[in-house]
Amino acid sequence: MSLKIVPQSIEIRNNKIEFDNLLFFIVDSNSSVKIEPLIGYDAIIIDAKDADFAKLILKKIRTHYNPEFYLKPVFLINYKESKDPILHNMNDGLIHSYDQLKDIADIAKQIFLKTTQLDYQLVATFEAQMVKKVLNYMFTRDLKTLKPIPDLNSAIGYTYPEISVNFDSTEETQVLEILEWAEKEGIIWPDFYERIYLCNQCNGGFLSYREVCPHCNSSNSSAQDLVHHFPCAYIGPLSDFRNTIDNSLTCPKCNKALRHIGVDYDKPSIIHHCNNCDKNFQDFFVKAKCISCTQDVEVQYLIPKSINIYKLTKRGRTAAGNGFLSSGKEVEDIFGAISMPVFKTLLHYEIERIKENPEQKSCIAIINTENILELYKKIGKKAEKSVLETIVNLIRENIKPTDFIAFENSSTLYLGIINSEALQAETDLANLKTLIEKLIKNNFNDFDVKINFKVKLLQPFNKSEFQLDELTKELFD
Amino acid sequence: MRFLDEFINYMSSVDAAKLFRMFWFFFIFEFFRFFLVEISTIIFWKFDSIFRKKGIADARLSLIKNQPLVSIIVPGRNEGKHIFKLVNSLKEQTYQNFELIVIDDGSDDDTAVICRNLEHRGMINAFYRNDVRGGKASAANLGLRFARGEYIIHFDADCSYDRDAIENILVPFFYNPKIGAVGGNVQVRNYKESLCATLQALEYYDTISIGRITTSELGIYRVISGAFGAFKREALDRLGGWDIGPGLDGDITVKIRKLGYIIHFEPTAVCQTSVPVTFDRLIKQRLRWDKSLIRFRLRKHRDVFFPNDSFKFSNFISFVENVTYNLILNVKWYFYLFDMVFNFTSQLVFIIPMNIVLYTVNNFMKFLVFSPFRDRKNEGITYFLIYIPLMVFYFGYFLRIVRTVAYVQELFFKASYKDSWNPAKSSRQAKALKL
Repeated sequence: MSLKIVPQSIEIRNNKIEFDNLLFFIVDSNSSVKIEPLIGYDAIIIDAKDADFAKLILKKIRTHYNPEFYLKPVFLINYKESKDPILHNMNDGLIHSYDQLKDIADIAKQIFLKTTQLDYQLVATFEAQMVKKVLNYMFTRDLKTLKPIPDLNSAIGYTYPEISVNFDSTEETQVLEILEWAEKEGIIWPDFYERIYLCNQCNGGFLSYREVCPHCNSSNSSAQDLVHHFPCAYIGPLSDFRNTIDNSLTCPKCNKALRHIGVDYDKPSIIHHCNNCDKNFQDFFVKAKCISCTQDVEVQYLIPKSINIYKLTKRGRTAAGNGFLSSGKEVEDIFGAISMPVFKTLLHYEIERIKENPEQKSCIAIINTENILELYKKIGKKAEKSVLETIVNLIRENIKPTDFIAFENSSTLYLGIINSEALQAETDLANLKTLIEKLIKNNFNDFDVKINFKVKLLQPFNKSEFQLDELTKELFD
Repeated sequence: MRFLDEFINYMSSVDAAKLFRMFWFFFIFEFFRFFLVEISTIIFWKFDSIFRKKGIADARLSLIKNQPLVSIIVPGRNEGKHIFKLVNSLKEQTYQNFELIVIDDGSDDDTAVICRNLEHRGMINAFYRNDVRGGKASAANLGLRFARGEYIIHFDADCSYDRDAIENILVPFFYNPKIGAVGGNVQVRNYKESLCATLQALEYYDTISIGRITTSELGIYRVISGAFGAFKREALDRLGGWDIGPGLDGDITVKIRKLGYIIHFEPTAVCQTSVPVTFDRLIKQRLRWDKSLIRFRLRKHRDVFFPNDSFKFSNFISFVENVTYNLILNVKWYFYLFDMVFNFTSQLVFIIPMNIVLYTVNNFMKFLVFSPFRDRKNEGITYFLIYIPLMVFYFGYFLRIVRTVAYVQELFFKASYKDSWNPAKSSRQAKALKL
């Protein structure tokens, strides 16, 4: 057991500090990189002597799907000014000594207070969930804008720390897509900051612009003035006129010395000579070589993107605290699933049916994939939909044709299980859970999806909405 | 009617001696040179072509076997609008081993944009632009400087070419290695556009198609048209390319002749060009062309007339013929006019119509007699027949007067150095150096 005495008799035991009714945990380079054990602490202090380690821990906390992690107050001690935008922007305060615990305790309390005001309403899509996560973070930290920060580690050269923290630096374009989505949803509005151009192959933003030969694309070329000798109309590169003996210029056609520019000669243009293919040209191509994937792209085929400073709209400000409903169109048109309004209507009919046939039992179930956001983040938006469709197919193969499925969002779905006892439904759902876990594990590099489900017998005298709310609360509580 | 009766009576009363006395100019110079010499040369040429047939076939085979790279250079200013058409027409050529080099001499229209685009799309092999205008010679020289071909063909952007034109203009180089340059057969494309263009089409038939066969056959061919001319690369390299114009086509031909090469006219290498459609534009063009006779034949290349190291009899004859029939006879024509006015004053009223009748009959005769020798005709003979009576006024009076003005301007005022066709900076230097 380690014990450190710090000023004002603050005691650190096993990296824990109790101060002002808050329990702090100090993560230092000797600590485990697993962050799950930190859930019980009110705030985390990371020793940033080792900046890479500090960033690793901070990123793990902020990327976690669980709000209890990603909203947790995190402070840095022994922090030296870093250019890393995540480390610099995603902490809640800096301290130089534990004397300053009072200051950060106040900050932590403010964050807690704000956190209690949050509505964790589920939203439909990956983008929506990501935006909601960011909005929650912004709300608890009183942030009003998302500012781009130039970042050499970002694939596009800019990073929005509050969102980018959730992605690898190579996935920064996904951040732009999410921001565009949020803009379309009216949650944020853009204020132009900069325009960037991205590689059309890998979306990389680090491009080397070069003048290349239009014949062989080589950048190994040299330029010379063209010289026109008026008296004899000879025209050629300056080197044609250079005298090997002295510095004078002599016309190779008429052997006269060039005397006065504008009087007996001029330089009407420039000629480039390609040292690779030996051809001459005047109009070079400008190509951008992507440093990431080495693809040589003609500049007109680069992908232009606006880098904006995003400010919360009125809707965004409300959504930050109260949550929001996205259009959720992405999960509406998945074959084999029905929309939530239709689901509720069918549920209403089923309630009416069992009301008249009390001997018949039906169930409703909710399935939630706890960490599937991490998978979506890796595989991208297009693959997200195909994952959902595969899951629906799998479920459909293992349920009765009369049962029905609807997505609440891309990580939560409801099932209406007709003519089934609760116990049977429970068994069926357990099987489904195993099957879905296997499916994801086998197809996505051993990704361990965490699936929770809850089954409830359908009550004949309660409204469908009420029963769904109850079911949802039971799962998440 | 009374005048007609009197005219016919007068004509019938004129005997051969009097006719010769009254129309000596026509009989001694024009009928002799432009009918008798031409028809006999053409007949000889046609006859000779039977014997040349095999040699030409072998030369064609040799060209096809060797496939030399040919550089087509197209210098011009504000010619962008024609380039796409030209590029497309070149796709049809039977000879395809060529590189197309377009040179923009400081255009102030969309030429650069059009040509850069065509270059990027691979439809032009190279496009060079002088941001500052330097004149046609410098533009052609720029193309020559970066051309890689063994043979250089000079095109005008607004011309179009028969699909075997490139092949046909190259064949003579393989028929006779002494040939240093070959001129193409330039015909008028827009001959229906105006009377002015129709008359020029008739003139081109005569002076280019037939006239150049004759001069080429006689070894005195002196102007390879800029619209369509092929050159041995080595010849142009020795000369350093074109010198300042106007009249650079004739100038380069003379310079190649001076190197000892043969200059050949190839009637089967056909190019069609658009000629000026209004008389005022035609006057400007011809003033420029005609001034070059004084500037280049009498001044720059006057050494051809004198015995020296590079003296060649064919060059001498070529120059003498050129100067005689264009300059001296032009002056002599006025002398003839005075002769008629002062010595035949009372009969002038009959002589002038008779002169016109004589020339017109001659023109009809020439047109009909030479028609079978023309390799290619734009239109049936009948289309042009009704215009032939106008040729005496066009060729005999209009062009003669224009030529006279040009000679006076150049002889006494060196007007060609003030011609805006060339940039002033170049003309100043050329004038100072007497080029």
